[in-house]
Amino acid sequence: MSPKLGPKLGLGLGLRHQHFSEILAGPAEVDWFEAISENFMDSGGRPRSVLREIAERYPVVLHGVSLSIGSVDPLNLDYLARLKALAHEVKPAWISDHLCWTGVLGLNSHDLLPLPLTEESLAHVVARVRQVQDFLGRPLILENPSSYVRFAQSSMEEPEFFRRLTEATGCGLLLDVNNVYVSCFNAGTDPAAYLAAFPCERVVQLHLAGHQDLGTHCIDTHDRPVRPEVWELFRIAWARTGGASTLLEWDDRIPSFADCLAELRKAQRHMGMAVDPAPASTVEVGGADALSTPADFMIPRAMDSVVQESA
Amino acid sequence: MSDPLEATQRWMHQALVFPQRADSGAIAGTFASGRLSGRDGLAIYQRSYVQRITRCMREQFPALCHALGEELFDDFVADYVRDKPPESHTLYDLGRRFPGFLEDSRPDRDAPLEARERWIDFMVDLARFERLVFTMFDAPGNEGRPFAVSATPDDLLRLQPCFAVARYRFDVAGYYHAVRQKQPAALPPAHLSFVALVRTDYLTRTVPLGEAHYLFLDAMAGGMGVADALEAVARQMSIEVEEVRRAWSTAADSPRALWLRMGFFVTPPPSTAHLA
Repeated sequence: MSPKLGPKLGLGLGLRHQHFSEILAGPAEVDWFEAISENFMDSGGRPRSVLREIAERYPVVLHGVSLSIGSVDPLNLDYLARLKALAHEVKPAWISDHLCWTGVLGLNSHDLLPLPLTEESLAHVVARVRQVQDFLGRPLILENPSSYVRFAQSSMEEPEFFRRLTEATGCGLLLDVNNVYVSCFNAGTDPAAYLAAFPCERVVQLHLAGHQDLGTHCIDTHDRPVRPEVWELFRIAWARTGGASTLLEWDDRIPSFADCLAELRKAQRHMGMAVDPAPASTVEVGGADALSTPADFMIPRAMDSVVQESA
Repeated sequence: MSDPLEATQRWMHQALVFPQRADSGAIAGTFASGRLSGRDGLAIYQRSYVQRITRCMREQFPALCHALGEELFDDFVADYVRDKPPESHTLYDLGRRFPGFLEDSRPDRDAPLEARERWIDFMVDLARFERLVFTMFDAPGNEGRPFAVSATPDDLLRLQPCFAVARYRFDVAGYYHAVRQKQPAALPPAHLSFVALVRTDYLTRTVPLGEAHYLFLDAMAGGMGVADALEAVARQMSIEVEEVRRAWSTAADSPRALWLRMGFFVTPPPSTAHLA
């Protein structure tokens, strides 16, 4: 991994509002946090105040879901300005988002939609990554999304797309090994071959998460523990990236902070570290209504902070 | 003619918003099959689009969802996102146009006011109230800064930034809190209801108001100082202004004292205080 792109932060956890109080009461036994940019960039309330406080005590990175780097719409410069202002405030180790598009014609699906992997798409994304990097004054880190479709017009595989993108722009990469598994399973391709072809030397960060295996296909639900087949991919990816910063995402049916940390620590046994046996998971697993790219974590429980005064 | 990438994105986004319009020939031509067929893969995105928005809307309008029942609420949301697909990068914006959509799509919208369905009026007002409550959560506030105190002169009092007043045709605040506290909540009778919302220490309080208090605070929210707002109340309520001034501040439990304790008021920053 290029030392210019970002430091090795160790084991981190996605920052979720359900855990705010416990983290602030700290110290939390976690190396760093990843904050969802959109949860904080427009905030004038408690979320931003909490993030400022956490950023004073732990390394943080900003992870976006709405940059829409692949959209044919013009880049949203107001969004970028807000992101830059937030970055100025909390000094993230890096800023990441996804290789995807979220909307077009001024509309937003609030999903991470896949791109056709073509020369046209590559040229389009290269130009926009350069524009974003110029605006932010730092390399952008881009993540491989989970996908349920493949475009007939695609002319290259995703690892090649990322390799050429990073060569052309100098951007860094966030390798989500759960997404690799989900996308490859749904496409009927080999996730190990994906990792072998991926430009791991440009990887700054690894993502771990749980998915739902429905037999015929997998859904990227982020609502349960990491599955054994993903841990195996993580073991390979961690070695190939030279021990990139690793983060657990949990975005739906979010368990206690302690349960999240217990799941995160399982990573150590796949990093060649001697660790105590992991306790049996106490986390409830969701049913058939699980959602791809869940967004519950994007909406804080605002209504929990409302009280009634008497007349 | 648009570029292939642009055409693909326009088509796929339309397929999410209007799944029934995505014909099978176009789906087969757009996607290659893997373990999942193109149609089945697209269906995951289509389902998730609606479910994600519906779940967020339930979170933002819990009392309205209770009042309508989940099934009917979800139907309204589905119509809403087809009519007004999300535009913003933030899900916080999702419900911004929902009260207006409910008002515009009511079946009796062309009827005279007195002939309209009261329960629809209630749903619209409840949606307006819940939207206002939700926006208070993350609006810029006065946390970490000083508030006005009892010794602050009237001519320096300003409403704090995270403050709102509103008027409704029903006691929507009472209904909202009953639902949130899991108490029995019936559709309230129609009567004008006034409420202030104020956030301190990241906690939003809803404060029921009388009409005169509402008029006063609404005038201040519109930019008036205390003296002008008191005169405006006297005019609108046909009360002697001296009586209004006495009511404002003389007693220990006067609105002035109560609202100062609740954090309604701040003073202008020192650099602009001399302009007050």
